Amino acid sequence: MKRRWFLGLCAVGSVSVLCASAQKPKAGISNEIYNVIAAVQQHMFPVGSSIPSAIAFRATQFTAETMMHPTYDKDIRKFVIEGAKELQSREKHQFLNYDTRQREKALRAYEETGYGSGWLDRIMLLSLEGLLSDPLYGGNSRELGWKALQTKGGDPRPTSRYVQS
Amino acid sequence: MKQVYDAIVIGSGASGGAVAHQLCQAGFKVAMLEKGRLIRREEFSKDELAYCRRDSVTPNLFDEYHTIEEWEEGEGGKGKWVETPTYESNWSFWNGNIVGGSSNLMSGMLHRMHPDDFRLLTKYGAIEGANIVDWPITYSDMEPYYALVEELVGISGKAQAHSFEPPRSKPDFTQPPTSENQVVTLFDKSCKALKVTPLVTPRAVLSRDKGNRKACYYSNFCGSYGCSSGAKGSSREAFIGPALGTGNLTLLTNTHVKRLESDKDRVTSVVTVNTVTGEEQKMTARIFVVAAQAHESARLLLNSANDYHPDGLGNSSGELGKNLIFSAGGSGQGVLRQKSLKGISFDALMQRGLFINRSVLDWYAIDGKRGEKMKGGLVEFMFEHQNNISRAAKTRYSGEKLRWGKDLEEALKETFLEGKSIRFEIFNDWLPTDNCFVALDKKRKDKYGMPVGKLRINGHSHDLKVASGIAGKCEAILQKMGAEEVYSFVSAVPPQNLVAGGCRFGDDPKHSVLNRNCQSHDLPNLYIADASFMPTGGSTPYTWTIYANALRIADYIIAELQK
Repeated sequence: MKRRWFLGLCAVGSVSVLCASAQKPKAGISNEIYNVIAAVQQHMFPVGSSIPSAIAFRATQFTAETMMHPTYDKDIRKFVIEGAKELQSREKHQFLNYDTRQREKALRAYEETGYGSGWLDRIMLLSLEGLLSDPLYGGNSRELGWKALQTKGGDPRPTSRYVQS
Repeated sequence: MKQVYDAIVIGSGASGGAVAHQLCQAGFKVAMLEKGRLIRREEFSKDELAYCRRDSVTPNLFDEYHTIEEWEEGEGGKGKWVETPTYESNWSFWNGNIVGGSSNLMSGMLHRMHPDDFRLLTKYGAIEGANIVDWPITYSDMEPYYALVEELVGISGKAQAHSFEPPRSKPDFTQPPTSENQVVTLFDKSCKALKVTPLVTPRAVLSRDKGNRKACYYSNFCGSYGCSSGAKGSSREAFIGPALGTGNLTLLTNTHVKRLESDKDRVTSVVTVNTVTGEEQKMTARIFVVAAQAHESARLLLNSANDYHPDGLGNSSGELGKNLIFSAGGSGQGVLRQKSLKGISFDALMQRGLFINRSVLDWYAIDGKRGEKMKGGLVEFMFEHQNNISRAAKTRYSGEKLRWGKDLEEALKETFLEGKSIRFEIFNDWLPTDNCFVALDKKRKDKYGMPVGKLRINGHSHDLKVASGIAGKCEAILQKMGAEEVYSFVSAVPPQNLVAGGCRFGDDPKHSVLNRNCQSHDLPNLYIADASFMPTGGSTPYTWTIYANALRIADYIIAELQK
């Protein structure tokens, strides 16, 4: 996807209103946005599967730390936040109150839009990174992702994030 | 600006390291300028997030980028060239900006070019729309240096008789092949049933210790990662480390070269900027060796235009930046599943780390529609890269819908637990054309204030035809092995890490940038050591030829410095 494509869409409609009304972010991401992302990830990686749940592998903590890191692509960071706001707007701020069936319906409807499908794809990629990257990055808690898929990272493992000295 | 160096080498990748090593061994003082930092052997890890999914060892694309021009078809057969900066597409054309360059990150599957690759025009004739020329040197000029690379870099392999295997001056490799997964028995059997000859792939990976470099420990994560044992024959391990040991090499990291300065006849200095402090300085030497990777070397010379050389240094021919080529063709894949696997155990297939180590040269020349001989290509077979995140990411779609929940769980388990994919990569000639080149983008500059490189990328239709024919034969091998979901993909989208051309060498100064020793026709103390010199690329990955040619021209440079 070309950056300018989703950034162009980002500037339309209710998003700009939400930008003005969003809570003051903690470390760049508001509680509401954090909770929306967490809810989406928990829907994608539910409890009760043989794959670790989003809660178990700390998907949202990983996502927040990763996207707020200075090395993370600034446009994608903005996109992740704006896409969560757009979902909230579409669902009249009720997404967090939905049950599983309602969340499935809302997310599949969001996926029908080009913007929504790009955003969900980005959340999925961040989640998979959290599931299978080295636990050093804050996800893959207790190597649950590796264990579930009978794999592991290579040796030697990193001792610092992003090859920092 | 005191001259203390015999030579300044710009870039520390395969060619820069090889030239610097030879000059230092001969007693000359060399400064090597590398825009990235040094990552030592013991600092490398198999960190997928850092090395494969982020710009940890390449520049941030908002700071430094390229503009890519691609042809977009329009209605009624009309089309247009569309340019996209890589910060928009996220399609980075940087490759390992660290000491040792992208040779740190290579898979190390190396091949010599065939003697016919040095005389492609004479052997196979002209093709309309392609700027094919013979090389000014022959395979016999290069062979001693191919052999020297085997020794210095440490290439493991096995000499094998095959009609398309180039002749060798040494009876066998100094290192035996790396260890192989049992799946090769299935591969070899399937090839033989199809009357195809499987060959052991030469690999720039040590199977035995060599000096202070330890043999491969089969980490399961080789390509795209630096090597933690020193087994991989990177420029850093094979050349820069030993060159530093001579006391003659000064390695300057975080040092980006903005431009070269010259008078009418000679390069006089380089203007550098420290990438951390922003401090600029000038350095000088007797000779200057540019080894910044093909598209960046041409850009540097174009950005160095001055009153004496208004079209760029070494560009009296007007050929600078033209005839860019890539090492590409196509690829394909199939999966061996536990439920249908025959001949070897599933546990053996799933054993981590061991290589497939097989290539096929049978189709290096192929028959055309009218029975004429056409240049074909070689094929490498390997396991799909074992990166966990990227393998998982491939499972995330069912049609156009994202999988999640139960669907995703089942897809992940099938991918990770129930089979293993084998991949093939086809390398055939990327014919040089008028529509594949690097120029300066007059509208866009990098963070150092220099125009960025604009790469127009276009493949010749002949290349796609050749690759398509070979892909079908490769699919047949995978199917014979019992692989499922076999597919192949042929396209003119280039691999950005395998680039050559742009400063082609030749004996005629009117039609080439460099002479046969990769010395500028216009400025005799200017050399281009990287793959820029290649007027055609052969049907192989370029690295062995880059190493060999750098050693070859180093001999010439040494002779010049000794005058």
